[in-house]
This record gives sequence, structure tokens and C-alpha cells, in this order.
Amino acid sequence: MNAALLLAVGGLTAVGLYLLTGRSLSRIILGYSLLGHATVVALITAGGPAGWPPIAGQAAPEDMSNPLPQALTLTAIVISFGLTLFLLALARRQRTLSGDDLVEDDLEDRRIAAAENAPTGPEDPVAT
Amino acid sequence: MIFSLLVLHVAVCAVLARAGRRLGRGSLLVGAVPPACSALWGAARLGDSQPATADLTWVGGLDLAMTFRVDAFAAVMTLIVSGIGVLVLVYAFGYFGPGTAHTGRFATTLLAFSTAMLGLVWADSVWTLFVFWELTSVTSFLLVGHKSTDAAVLVAARRALMVTAGGGLVLLAGLLLVTGAAGTTLISELAPVDGAGAGATAGAVLVMIAAATKSAQVPFHAWLPGAMVAPTPVSAYLHAATMVKAGVVLVAVAGPALSGIVAWRGCGIAFGVASVVWGALGALRHRDAKLILAWGTVSQLGMLITLFSVGTPAAVLAAVALLVAHALFKGALFLIVGEIDVRAGTRHIDELGGLARSMPVAFAAAVLAGLSMAGAPPLFGFVAKETAIGAALGLEGPEAWIVGFGVIGGSVLTVAYTVRFLVAVFGPGPETPLSARRPALSAPPAVLAAAGVAAFAVLGPLDSVLAPAAVRLSGGAAVGHLHRWPGLEPALAVSAAVLVVGAIVGLAMGGRPGQAPADRAARWTDASIDGAVAVGRATVARVQHGSLPVYLVTMAAVATLAATPFLAGISLDHIVAWDRPLQGVLAVTVVGAAVALCWVGTRLGAGLALGATGIAVASVFVVHGAADLALTQLLVEAAIVVGFVLAFGHLSRSFPMTGLRWRAVRMAVAGLGGAAVVVGLGAASGNPVAAPPLAELAAASVDEGGGSNVVNVILTDIRGLDTLGEVLVLATVALGVQALARPSASRGSPTP
Repeated sequence: MNAALLLAVGGLTAVGLYLLTGRSLSRIILGYSLLGHATVVALITAGGPAGWPPIAGQAAPEDMSNPLPQALTLTAIVISFGLTLFLLALARRQRTLSGDDLVEDDLEDRRIAAAENAPTGPEDPVAT
Repeated sequence: MIFSLLVLHVAVCAVLARAGRRLGRGSLLVGAVPPACSALWGAARLGDSQPATADLTWVGGLDLAMTFRVDAFAAVMTLIVSGIGVLVLVYAFGYFGPGTAHTGRFATTLLAFSTAMLGLVWADSVWTLFVFWELTSVTSFLLVGHKSTDAAVLVAARRALMVTAGGGLVLLAGLLLVTGAAGTTLISELAPVDGAGAGATAGAVLVMIAAATKSAQVPFHAWLPGAMVAPTPVSAYLHAATMVKAGVVLVAVAGPALSGIVAWRGCGIAFGVASVVWGALGALRHRDAKLILAWGTVSQLGMLITLFSVGTPAAVLAAVALLVAHALFKGALFLIVGEIDVRAGTRHIDELGGLARSMPVAFAAAVLAGLSMAGAPPLFGFVAKETAIGAALGLEGPEAWIVGFGVIGGSVLTVAYTVRFLVAVFGPGPETPLSARRPALSAPPAVLAAAGVAAFAVLGPLDSVLAPAAVRLSGGAAVGHLHRWPGLEPALAVSAAVLVVGAIVGLAMGGRPGQAPADRAARWTDASIDGAVAVGRATVARVQHGSLPVYLVTMAAVATLAATPFLAGISLDHIVAWDRPLQGVLAVTVVGAAVALCWVGTRLGAGLALGATGIAVASVFVVHGAADLALTQLLVEAAIVVGFVLAFGHLSRSFPMTGLRWRAVRMAVAGLGGAAVVVGLGAASGNPVAAPPLAELAAASVDEGGGSNVVNVILTDIRGLDTLGEVLVLATVALGVQALARPSASRGSPTP
């Protein structure tokens, strides 16, 4: 395992999480994208040491980097690309409808919290 | 056979649930068919020494299985549960007059309860037992709340549910600890657990507390008198004969394994003796005939818990006999009170009079059942009490004093409240007007009361059935025998004294006017339930506040904790600084670009920083030897930057700021999250399973895939179908993006 890449994964995850917990939809998408990077780097780091590109005939097999995680990672990159684009489209749509890109509070949860605070007597167990 | 019977019960339940409304009162008789079958089967198994077993494995490795085992004790319980079930269903046919609403629903729920109770007494796996235990709590709640339009009924039903279901949670915790200490989940395989382990001790105490909630032991008893608002068939069946015995059954079957634990015995005897005394005092003070019986039940259950907790062979034999006797006499007495309630329109002892003359059958049955409860010869209750006193006298040490006080003092009080009950209900007084006689109401209690006499008459065969059950519950030790006439022994002298003193007290209390005591325990129980509900509401209002970022931070913080076990797994031997020095430089670049992404104040700048991060990651791939990844990453990154600018480019330029403290919390959680990923990944790397088969992959790629780029061959050949799915995902995304970005989608909105 490669400490430099390991720390890169940790850094990407931390920054991604920080952005993901913000209120601005555009920063959430940025955070999501960084978490995607963290995942793919983690995959190839876990797959083995660096080497020559895995092309038969160009390098001796024992000098190659492990091709299997690369194939998996390629899929991960493509899927996370698709999802990021879809998120961007959603965010644009949200902006079109509401005029900004802030994540609102869940109004239903707000309503429940307010209702739970209202005093109710023990005499109406049916209503609970 | 076990599964066939359960399926029969469930099937009839389902039929009644659908057709109950049409069948009306008749559904009670239809519902009596499955219990009748079970009762016959139980009766046929009574003498059988070979237990019947059945099991249905769900998850083998986790010991999750429906496992049943009907041994000598379970056969006795089957006969009680199903036999009394049949009588109660027939009785309910008379109890609910023609045209009463919701009798179909009542029959369905009562049969469902009967099924759950059978499952409970048949269960061998503790998890099977737990499932049926909870089912009896739920069906009991539904039956107590049968008259669902009455507020007092609903409060009582809620109290019953909260206490018994809360006990269910305690039971789950206790069973986890006990099975962990014992190493098996099968009750029949539980070996005696010694008291050394703290886990086993805590588990045993929790199991005992759960039993105390279900069997209405002080201080959890308040729900049982409250549950008397239920229709009388329910009170007789659930709250006298069967469901409240679930706790007793649990203590009985767990006894052989746990009775070596001092805390188990101590707890059980404390619950039991307190309930014997307090329940009997309640029965002496209340003025509602049904409540008198309910408080008497608390007392009798206390006696059973005490005897089973003591766990000596003699005590277990006495407890088994008392279990059977109690089901017979208390069932009968409840049914008689129900008949009085239906025909006289009241069950308050001050308003009842002259019933000995006007209800001769009920009077005779009540006297027989009452004398059995008091423990007078020649009835089965006498045998049970005689054995219990003998067992108490046979103990040694401080336990002997406490148990002796409970058993003998309890017996005196039992005689007293029985005599008071009989005098107050059937004694002289202005004649109470009665409605017409209903045969279905008077037959079942008469049968139960007569059974008490018959049990005494045929004690020999009965002993050959009950003694094996007691042997099973005392861990295989010889238990002796039940005797019709024990001979001139200390127990007999004590018994005679008990009868005389109790009768004097009872007669003295019998005619006395007075007020029923206020039920403080019920108020406390309700207050604690209300408190729990209030705490729950406050917690929900605090935790479910609606802010999505806070939810996310909470989840991330909790998920971070999951990484802590991996800390120990990191092995520095497998970690190098870098494979190539350039990786170090690129790692710094990647993280630096990501931090810059946070730092940049404008959306356009952020988009460009995102591109920079992507390119740095692509460079990492190049250095690692993953050319295809680098190419893909570059293409993808370009598209994303373009998309980001398109989506956000002409919005207000800077990001909104948030509070400083909240940002600090987010940073801390994010840092911890990153550290958790590093720890998890580092620990995983210390555990390499095998070297990758590089040579095989390269050779197969050329020979079988027909290409020299191994990654491409894997994607298009080895897992071609997955790649096709990937293409499908991209196509779907394209469609979605197109639909969302259509100009018509913004019609009617105030877009600038």
C-alpha cells in the first residue's frame, strides 16, 4: 500500500464530505464529485503497486500494474460521471424553479417537529 | 403435526378475518375448532415420554429457525391453553348476545391469541419463543381494547401493551446475554449456567424482569387489574389461565439452566413474595368482583414465580400442580363473575345479593372452584397447596424464612379473600333481579369447577402426567409424587391452621362496607408511560428538525465510528511511502487542488478548480500505469466542467456563507471521515489474499480475448454485459438531463 495515495484518498474524502454538508447545491455536487475521485483512487491503490500499463507484449507481466481494478475503476468513473451530470441538471432545474440553489429544510420534518412540541394530554392515546 | 396444527389455527384465523362479519356470533364456534384439535393432540401426548419436535430453518448460520419441541410440560400447557380456549370460545357465544357487533373480530383475535400462546409453550428456540411472546402482547392489547370507543378502555389497553411490550424488549436483551453465555439458542439444550459471568447474571436478571412484567408481578402489576375492562372471556382466558402464565412458563423452562445464579433466585423470590402479599391484600380490599379475582391472580402468579424460582424438585412439582389448579379454578371463577355481570348487569359486591338461591349452578361451581383456590380438601387445589407448603418447609437457610412467609402467609390471605369473595357475591342481601339463563354461559365454568374435583379423584393418573413435566423443569431430578392425603405431617397441621385463620379473617371482612382503594400503581404506571412519550416527542422534535446538512453530518459522524475497530488492523510492514516519487508530488497536488476548490469563492473558479483536481487525478493514473483510466478521466472531467459552468455559471457569483461554529463542526466531521477512510483502507492493505494473476491475465487476453490491452479485453469481453449495462445507465442519464433541461420545463416560473 502506498502512503502518498492513501493520504490523497483521505484528503479527497475529507474535502468532499465538507462540501457535501453545505447548503449550496453547487458545492454539494462538487463534494460528490470529489468523493467519486477518492473512491477511484482508493480502488487502484488497493489493487497493487504502480507498474507499466497492462498491455500484453509491451511489458513483462510481472512489471504490469494490476488490470482488474482498472477495469472496475473505469466503470466507476463512467457511472459517477453520469450521476454528476444528472445532479447538475437537477440543480439547474431547481435554480429555474426557485431562483437559487440552496438546499431547503425538509418542511415535512419541520411540521412534525412543531406538532410534537405541541402539548397533548394523556387522555387522547388514539391521537398519538 | 406441530406445523399442521399451527397452519390450521392460522388458516381458520384468516377465514374468520374475512368472513367474521357474515358469520357473526357463529364465528366463535368456528374458532373453537382448531383449539379443540390442539387440545386433543395435547391430551394424546400427555403420557408420552418422547418429545415431538419440528423445525423450519430460516438462516442456519445465525441460528434463526422456528424450532418447536413438545415435551411433557408443553403437553400439559397445550391442554390448558387449548382446552380452556375451547370452553372460553363456547362461553363467549353465550356472553355476547345475538346481534352483538364485532363478534367476528373478537373471535379472530381470540383465536390469534390462542395460536400465539401455543407457539410460545411449544417453542424450543429462544427466538421462536420471543416472537410468540410479542404476539401474545399484541393480541392481548387488541383484546383488552375490544370496546375501542371507551377512553378508559383505551388507557387500560395502552398500559397493558406498554408494560408487556416493554418487558419484551427486556426479554430480548436478556436472551441475547443468556444465549451468549450458554452457547446455544435451544431451550432444551441450555446447560446449567454458573453464576460466575457478569453477562449471564445480567441476562438472568433481565429475563426474570421480563417474566415479571408479563406475569404482572409487583411493581409491574398495575396493567392486570386495568385489563379487567376487557370482555370477561378475555379476562378468564388471557388474564387468568394463559397469557399471564407466559412469564411463569419462561421462569419454569429457564429454571434448570439459570437457577444456579444467585441473583436469579433472589430476584424471582423478591418479585414473587411481594406479589403474593400485595396481590392478596388488593383482593381483600377491592369491591368489584372481577377486580378481586384479578388481584387474586397477581397473588397466585407470585406464588408460582416464587416456587419456580426456588427450583428445588419439590417446589417445581408444587408449582406445576398449582399452575394446572389455578387455570381450572380461576378460569371458572372469572366465567362465573362474567355470567353474573351479564345477567345481573353489575358485578359490584355491594349491589349483589341472594345469588346463592337464584343462580344455583353458578353458586355450586363457585364454591367448588373457590374451595380449590383456598386449598381445601377434597379438591385439586388442596393437593397443590399441600405440596407447596411441604416444599417451603423443606428449604434451609434465610430462603426458607422468606419463602415460608410467602407461601404460608399467602395461603392464609388466599383463604381469606376467597371466603370474602364467596360471602360477598353469593351471601344474603336484597335479591338482585336477573335476566334469563343462558346455557352457554353456565356450562363452561361448571366443567372447569368439576375438573378440579375430578383431578383430585383421579390423582394417580394425573400424577403420572404432571410428575414427568416437573422432572423436565427441575433439570431431570426426581421430584416425588403428588399425594391425595399426605398423612399426619407438619404440612398438614400448617394447612389446617391456614384454613381456620384465613376463614376467620375472610368472614370478618366479608360483609364489611367500605371503599375500594385508589389504584396508585396504575397512576404511576400511566405517568411513566406519559413521561416516556413526552421524552420521545421531545427527542423527535430535536433530532428530526428538518435540516438536511445536519442529518448528513450526524450520519457521517456515526459512520466514522465504524472505522475504529480497524485501527488495530493497520500493519506498517505493508505500507511504503510511494512506489514512484512522482506519486508524492501528485498526491500533494490532488489534495491542494481539492482544498483550493473549497477556498475559491466563486462558482466559476470552483468549476475550474474541479477541473484541476480531475486532471491531477488523471496524472495519478498515468504514473500508476493506468493509461485507459487517465484518458477516460480527462474526457469526463472536461465534460463535467462544461456542465458545471452551464448549470451555475450565470448565477450570483459567490457562495453563501454559513456560521463559523457550524463550519468548524463540519470540518471536524469531514476530517474524521477522511481519517476513517485512511484507517479502513490501511487495515485492508495489511491483509493481502493473493498476488494478482498478471501473467495469466496477459496470456488469456491475447489468446482468448484477441487483444493486447488487458483492461479493454476485461471490459468488452470478460464482463461485456456489465459494460452494456453501463452504456444503458449513460443513455438513461442523457434522457433525464435532456428532459430536465428542456426550455418548456421552465414554463410559468420567474426565471430571469
